[in-house]
Amino acid sequence: MDKFIFQIQRFDGEKKWLQRYELPYEPGKTVLWALTTIKDDLDPTLNFTSACRHAICGSCGIKVNGHSFLSCKTSLDELVETFKTKTLTFEPMGNFDVVRDLVIDWKPKMEKMKKVNPWLSPANHGSKSNGFIQSKEEADAIAKPTDCILCGACASECNQLDVNDGSYLDPFIFNKAYRFLVDSRDNAPDARLKPVVENGLWKCLHCNECVTQCPKGIPLTDQIAYLRQRSMESGERNNQGARHAYAFHDDVRSKGRLNEMMLPVKTDGVVKTVTKKIPFAYRMIAKGKINPFHFPKKIDGIEGVRKIYSENEKERV
Amino acid sequence: MLTYDVVVVGAGGAGMMAALSASENKNLKVACLSKIFPTRSHTGAAQGGINAAMGNRDNTDSPEKHFKDTVKGSDFLADQDAVEFFTKRMPEIIQELDYYGVPFSRDENGKVAQRPFGGASSPRTCYSADKTGHVILHSVYEQCLKNNVTFLDEWFLLSLVVEEDECHGLVAMDIKSGEIHAIKAKSVVIASGGFGRIYWNRTTNAFNMTGDGTAACFEAGIPVKDPEFVQFHPTGLASTGILLSEACRGEGGYLLNKDGERFMKKYAPDKMELAPRDLVSRSIEMEIKAGRGFGEGLEAYVLMDLRHLGEEKIMERLPQVRELALDFEGTDLMTEPVPIRPSCHYMMGGIHVINPETLETPVKGIHAAGECACVSLHGANRLGGNSVADVVLFGKYAGIGARKTAEQRTFKGDTLLTNKATEWHDKFHAMRQKEAGKSLVEIRNTMAGTMWDNVGIFRKKDEMVHALETIEQLIEDYKETFIGDAAVRYNMAFVNYVEIGNLLTLAKAVAMGAIAREESRGSHSREDFPERRDDEFLKHTLIYKEGDNYRLDHHPVSITSYTPEERVY
Repeated sequence: MDKFIFQIQRFDGEKKWLQRYELPYEPGKTVLWALTTIKDDLDPTLNFTSACRHAICGSCGIKVNGHSFLSCKTSLDELVETFKTKTLTFEPMGNFDVVRDLVIDWKPKMEKMKKVNPWLSPANHGSKSNGFIQSKEEADAIAKPTDCILCGACASECNQLDVNDGSYLDPFIFNKAYRFLVDSRDNAPDARLKPVVENGLWKCLHCNECVTQCPKGIPLTDQIAYLRQRSMESGERNNQGARHAYAFHDDVRSKGRLNEMMLPVKTDGVVKTVTKKIPFAYRMIAKGKINPFHFPKKIDGIEGVRKIYSENEKERV
Repeated sequence: MLTYDVVVVGAGGAGMMAALSASENKNLKVACLSKIFPTRSHTGAAQGGINAAMGNRDNTDSPEKHFKDTVKGSDFLADQDAVEFFTKRMPEIIQELDYYGVPFSRDENGKVAQRPFGGASSPRTCYSADKTGHVILHSVYEQCLKNNVTFLDEWFLLSLVVEEDECHGLVAMDIKSGEIHAIKAKSVVIASGGFGRIYWNRTTNAFNMTGDGTAACFEAGIPVKDPEFVQFHPTGLASTGILLSEACRGEGGYLLNKDGERFMKKYAPDKMELAPRDLVSRSIEMEIKAGRGFGEGLEAYVLMDLRHLGEEKIMERLPQVRELALDFEGTDLMTEPVPIRPSCHYMMGGIHVINPETLETPVKGIHAAGECACVSLHGANRLGGNSVADVVLFGKYAGIGARKTAEQRTFKGDTLLTNKATEWHDKFHAMRQKEAGKSLVEIRNTMAGTMWDNVGIFRKKDEMVHALETIEQLIEDYKETFIGDAAVRYNMAFVNYVEIGNLLTLAKAVAMGAIAREESRGSHSREDFPERRDDEFLKHTLIYKEGDNYRLDHHPVSITSYTPEERVY
């Protein structure tokens, strides 16, 4: 008989193990169906969280074969099609503390979220008794970011969180900062920008995994790019990320290409470059990765490059 | 022993609004306890909107008209003092929510946008596309974080500790650690949501809508009011019961039978699809019964057609609905009509509240708001857009009421609290050790099937008596059940066990109330008594639990402005 095989990662607070369950194959079922059927019919000790079962409460996220999904809206047939097997491995979401089996702990994440002051700081043109006037266009700006259901799929997929020491903000926290920053009713841009810069805004690896797995299609990496831009505009330029971006900007505008020899100096400053980067640079030179005698010349057609810059700057004004 | 001035049970719209209001007195310690993480609460599932006579779209609208529509929608069973209090204050609550950051959709003047909804004489439903509940839930949570409300996430209410009609606190389990705690409190707000899960899968409700707070109040001596009034939402997805917002009809969706006929013209010629939910639900079932639906038996359905609205309007106003239909029914409503059928949606009845301005119950120290409570705002049938309104408004006033109660009371009842906690501790221990017994899943499924078949959209006496007997038998079987999980940490099997006990307790009250009400009114439709009978039944049902016995009593309806008349649409 055709069947599904589920290998589910179990955890009892101390030890971890993979447990195998089998269900007869049925077309058109979801991952959540599998979990509830296993709990109801096979094993009452299996634990997971779920509530609304239609993708609005955000509680049922898990990893299937290494990727994060909302189990209520993920069809088993699609997974079988993608992974070409009816054997599927379920694990708790990544980058969260695991409580038991597939259950993760949100408390530490919310403590971290408080760093960006995740609440409206009402602007003066509104009041508790009269609310606000907000145009359709202004409302549109917050339509997408307020779709976030805090399911955590983005955090689970985030490669920076994987390697980070714990300070890096989860993508949904950047989304929250963005959400208030672009709300015409909010008047505390610094309360969003300062903490995001201090907590790893420039560390995003651009792997786009967060965007790929977001069940609500929120453009998280675009938001991070916007936060970077706003932070530089607001004067947050004295940090590694901003200096690095400006080094690119200035090189390309003046020469049409990067000066890789000078990039670390412009990004990290002379002292840090001398103490930390020079041994690394020696190794790079030894391997032939960089040529210390290469000083890039202007490219042909640099006027065209500069024209693109100036057009772009005009547009932004 | 954990000690708070105010403990709110439930972190949905009502619970968090209560916690927010109570926390305005900075001298009070306020905790908000929820068996799930707050933003998972079922308020988030509300799609279509929140009613308030703002007059932004139709300047002839007024709180008075909202008052009248609500009373008529309730089939004259709502308490009119409560409805008047509610409709008058709703516009200011919308402004307050706006000030809290709720991303409302806007009209061309930059004001909060409003749309038509069933049973409303003006377009007065404020909304945020079709995610209104979701954004309100998140915004109110954010405000609670701002106010430093203590959240006890994944804590599960086990009992309220009450002595001589005075509440001293509660016993709850920290699910993550498995520890059972007594919590001392001067006042408690119960805002734990409805109990549509008595029908298990034939409901739009989340898995955890098991009426824990209602059952705890009921056990503590507070009667449950009007439990027989169960709302069935007309447009559940045919195969799963998942909700498609009333906004679909509000924006102009049609209902069609197998012959392609807009059948609502037979049942509500003036309002058509915009008639109230009870009427539309019954109309759909009548069509199916008459063989004009698609499919057969439990698989039968009719169609809802939105294609004529056009892509742009669907994407602007109903984007989530489109996704739901795609993901859960495999239907793209831009190009094809979607199969729908009524699904249990809302409990009009609940904890007996005696004052709509303070949300007090007969037990000193306990307040209740939201779907778990019966104020009574909705009477025999709730209008769409009035439930999110109910949770934020009455949640707020329950918080103010609880704050005032806490300011007047002192902490008491240590021994009682400790004893109750020990009792639960022993029960948890015993259930963890037990290795065999009756199947909890079977008990749950039998309950749901019995309730759906016999105490559903159409009701008659002998079927309901049969259901009541079945539920009583299940309550006996429940004593012999086991959970099958010996763990202390995150033992959801034990939590589910308590939840199913709560559902059985409440299902019996629903059946009992429904048998006693020998008339048809609002959602309660008796085949053997098809008429409304004001002479006998213009009154609320109260059911008390006294030990294992249930006692039925009545309570007068408050009628101030509108004398009952025939309800036609």
